Amino acid sequence: MSQEPLRVYDCNWCGQPSDGTALSCPACGAQVDVRAIVSKSGWSELPGRKDMAKLQFGQSFCQVEGTYVPVADMSLAAGDRIYFSHHVLLWMDSQVKVSAMSMKGAWKRMIAGMPLIMTQAEGPGHIAFSRDAPGELVALPIQPGQAVDVREHLFLVATSSVAYDWIQSGVWFTTKSGDETETHYPLGMFLDRFTSPQVPGLLLLHAAGNVFVRQLEPGQTILVKPTAFLFKDPTVHMHLHFERPAGTWRSWRSWGDRYIWLRLKGPGRVAVQSAFEPVEDNGRNITSHSGGTERQW
Amino acid sequence: MSDPSAQLLQRIVCQWCQTQNEPNAVACRSCGAPLDVKNLVSESGWREAPRIKDMTEIHFGSSTCQVEGEIVPVAEINLGPGDSVFFEHHVLLWKDDATRMSVMPLSGGVKRAFAGMPFIISVATGPGRIAFSRDATGELVVLPLHPGMELDVREHAFLVGSHHIDYTYLRIKGLRNILFGGQGMFMDRFITKGDSGLLLLHGYGNVFERTLKPGEHILVEPGAFLYKDSTVTMDVEAVKLTSGFFGGTSMNLARMTGPGRVGIQSMYVHHNTE
Repeated sequence: MSQEPLRVYDCNWCGQPSDGTALSCPACGAQVDVRAIVSKSGWSELPGRKDMAKLQFGQSFCQVEGTYVPVADMSLAAGDRIYFSHHVLLWMDSQVKVSAMSMKGAWKRMIAGMPLIMTQAEGPGHIAFSRDAPGELVALPIQPGQAVDVREHLFLVATSSVAYDWIQSGVWFTTKSGDETETHYPLGMFLDRFTSPQVPGLLLLHAAGNVFVRQLEPGQTILVKPTAFLFKDPTVHMHLHFERPAGTWRSWRSWGDRYIWLRLKGPGRVAVQSAFEPVEDNGRNITSHSGGTERQW
Repeated sequence: MSDPSAQLLQRIVCQWCQTQNEPNAVACRSCGAPLDVKNLVSESGWREAPRIKDMTEIHFGSSTCQVEGEIVPVAEINLGPGDSVFFEHHVLLWKDDATRMSVMPLSGGVKRAFAGMPFIISVATGPGRIAFSRDATGELVVLPLHPGMELDVREHAFLVGSHHIDYTYLRIKGLRNILFGGQGMFMDRFITKGDSGLLLLHGYGNVFERTLKPGEHILVEPGAFLYKDSTVTMDVEAVKLTSGFFGGTSMNLARMTGPGRVGIQSMYVHHNTE
């Protein structure tokens, strides 16, 4: 008897190998055997995750229920732990042990984007999470040594092995009117950086609207609305890009005659969400900005 | 039988935009509506805008538009050389570096603003890719405009239009329409002359359409109004609920009078307009 092959199927969302016998990828919940949906311009839509898709982490399972405002329904095995910020909690069994998160270890307490207090839940028991807006639940399995940079405030829940850190987004510009200088952070001041140092971890994000991801080749660029940016590999560089249209007249001072873009440069993965906040731009003269490029048509 | 005239009859007419399609087509070539779907009309006469299947491709000129996603759909356009589309710049999602951008000169110095920003119509010219979406859940309404059509649209509801469409806007007349119409002071008007064009709207929630006969009318919540043929007239009127000493309580509804199409959205958002 020959051994069963260990990998017959590579998930087209997270790239994780599995035996392909499940309906959905055990690591991220994407449908197996589905035609890979890639738009002609190269964006993959977050795969149509089947309702009730089941993800495994450690000895625990997470079932993703609903397609409009999805719920992450966790079945925690004894001793398995996850952490979350309390406002995303939907329901839980009474035997789930909930505590304020210990600030020791990989978890750094900070004043940045995420809430100061994280809540930790320990199995056995069921606990479920959701957010308050229509959108997609994005499952990002993180392998040891891998890192992902995420727009702030999108974090839903992570396994206890996932370490959370933050970096300055490094994307800003200042505008001036009279004596008043205003600094704008179109991505927020910070990006959340998630790693999983020892064992594979699972990170769940909640994004607004639909989610699209693409792989940028080395040196390949794309312009993205700053507020639509969702996450990227740390290898992807980003900077501001100001584009000035042809045929404009300078009297529209309050518009500033400019489009403010985030220019992403490969190699690596980038993702966008299709619903976004408006880009904050008062149209005044930009007096200084983080590194950027410009194009006048 | 290989009579060519008989083959010409074997066309599927799209129930949404009336375009004739190849007999084996599964989605309408010009608006993306699934062709195998039952013709969904409610008993009161409203037709639901077709939910466009993910990744459906729509053609106009030498360009294609792909509609992606079903929660907040994205319209991704691959512009052919020389083709262009126009839009309000807040709906931009992403673009290629190389897609040329310009601004449409608008006649009249009317001060129109959206969310505190001046009202600018941007133009993107091919070759190149560019993609659009809006800030909330809804439906992408594809309205192919045949030659000689005139369509009035709630302001800020249009996502993108192709370059064969003439764009102008109307100041809404009548104090009651402005104050109680729930849709600001302006209405966008899209006109086609010799060529047909493609117009994409974003409606919040679901979108429904019905066709009014000449003289037929219907009362609509003003905030739900999405679009109408220019032949349909709209007047906001107070409907008395109670009569009392101080004039009683009334609510404002828009009376739409046919002939023509009326489109409504099920989730209405009142923008702050200036």
